[in-house]
Amino acid sequence: MSTPPTENSMRFAETELVRKKQLSERIAQFAFLMMTLAMVLPLLLIVTYLIYKAMPALSLGFLFDLPSRGMRAGGIWPALLGTIYLVVVSLVIAAPIGVLAAVYLNEYAQDNWFTRIINLAVINLAGVPSIVHALFGLGAFVLFAGIGRSVLAASLTLAVMTLPVIIASTKEALSAVPMSFREACWNMGVSRWKTIRGVVLPNSISGILTGIILQVSRAAGETAPIMFTGAVFYKAVQKGDVFAYGLLDQCMALAMHLFTISTQVPGVDEAIPFATAVVLLGTVLLVNAAAIIMRIILRTRKKW
Amino acid sequence: MVDLPAKIRVEGLGVSYGDKIALKDLSLQIPANQIFGIIGPAQSGKTTFLKAVNRTIDFVSNATVKGRVLMDNQSVLDASSFTPVKKLSNNGMRDLCGYRRRIGMVAPLPVGLPMTIYDNVTFAPRQAGIRKKDELDTLVERCLTQAALWDEVKDRLDTLGTKLSGGQQQRLTIARALSHEPEVLCLDEFSIAIDPVTTMRIEDVLKELKAEMTIILVTNLVQQARRLAKRTAFILNGELVEEDTTKKIFSGNASDSRTNEFVSGIFG
Repeated sequence: MSTPPTENSMRFAETELVRKKQLSERIAQFAFLMMTLAMVLPLLLIVTYLIYKAMPALSLGFLFDLPSRGMRAGGIWPALLGTIYLVVVSLVIAAPIGVLAAVYLNEYAQDNWFTRIINLAVINLAGVPSIVHALFGLGAFVLFAGIGRSVLAASLTLAVMTLPVIIASTKEALSAVPMSFREACWNMGVSRWKTIRGVVLPNSISGILTGIILQVSRAAGETAPIMFTGAVFYKAVQKGDVFAYGLLDQCMALAMHLFTISTQVPGVDEAIPFATAVVLLGTVLLVNAAAIIMRIILRTRKKW
Repeated sequence: MVDLPAKIRVEGLGVSYGDKIALKDLSLQIPANQIFGIIGPAQSGKTTFLKAVNRTIDFVSNATVKGRVLMDNQSVLDASSFTPVKKLSNNGMRDLCGYRRRIGMVAPLPVGLPMTIYDNVTFAPRQAGIRKKDELDTLVERCLTQAALWDEVKDRLDTLGTKLSGGQQQRLTIARALSHEPEVLCLDEFSIAIDPVTTMRIEDVLKELKAEMTIILVTNLVQQARRLAKRTAFILNGELVEEDTTKKIFSGNASDSRTNEFVSGIFG
């Protein structure tokens, strides 16, 4: 049996319905692309605007110099150092507690009213505004615990703020490891803890680290929690002194510094707040980039 | 009649998950060094039975268990009434993990752990304290050979277990189950995710292994039980319908009419 060639080629020709479908497909794709660009655009604009405005003040010296003439000139070294201190100390406190709590909640805890309350608390704690965390930190750490306004009190406050998100993201990463891996280990007589250490943690570490590192940027950027608990307008430090702050000293911080020089100090050169903002943003982006790179590296080692 | 001493004796075993009863008052004797088939439709409690036997039921938080399980006449699970798994005693066993290592378990779906083939097989032995490299090397070769996988992977033991094909992963799972030198090997519908050729290879392996260990073969392929098992139990809705020689079960005149209907494919 032979079919005429015309009929054969007609068999795969577009019908009216197919054309309509293709059109709506293209429209949908375009609309979604636009939405994606709408998300990127503000970031690009913010970054270019900031850098443009900050250009006159930006230099390596700006990073490592002390502020002078009542914040109206000089660099931001004490603030940058203070932010690094706050972030590192708060992470040292929050990361282990958060990860271990998440391991308990995801791997050990049974589903009962108690764990449900804990989970609810974690979610709600993540939704508490940072200014409320600030007041809590002031009451609990500065006044009640008697630590006083200090790096430690501010870091503890930041830790309380970042903890629930670290718990949530770690739990997410842990529960992404298939249950069958755990069962396979249990069946071989491997204990719960050794299963976690040998199979669950190695395979969720990229997600856990990403979650933690993203909290770095949050801790670095928040002003409210540190304002009442340890960050100050000015703190005299030695130039180039990396260990300028003790745990119980008050410190300067980038976010706080930016806030004060742009609202409290008259006659500041316009470029300086912008340059401070660029440094703050740059620090955050740098840390995020580190998170992304770490993710990529660990992803390639992901094994299923 | 049981012609060999019972390796595992189950007396009045009942398991429920919350309000749902999975196993009702099940009593069985599993003779040593032969293949014991357990057949039954889905959701009839076959997997639960295996979990109770190797005590991984302890990881199911809402499970309650009653009855007794004895291995070599030593009680490994003992509860006179329905007891939440958290409150189950260890029956004087120093450590439950040690007990679980006496049983090898193969799950329905192949699970290659996300580590190298070598590590897959040595994971449990290393956790149990074997550290010497040459000891582990011989163990890997022995287990993979027993699981009919050695020839295919001997040159790439450092590739990931998850990169193997489904049938290879299932044989890797068997190799892993053998790695801790179990006395009992439980296979839970091991062939549902693998091809017939691999299935036949594994079945041949099982025929050889039964000289060394007791094998519990849970399957919903009734013909597989017929091919391999010496005795077969038929479980339906959590109840033991009957347990007899495989010949009798498949003869068409088993004691219970439901057995005859099931094996001849009328339901299930």
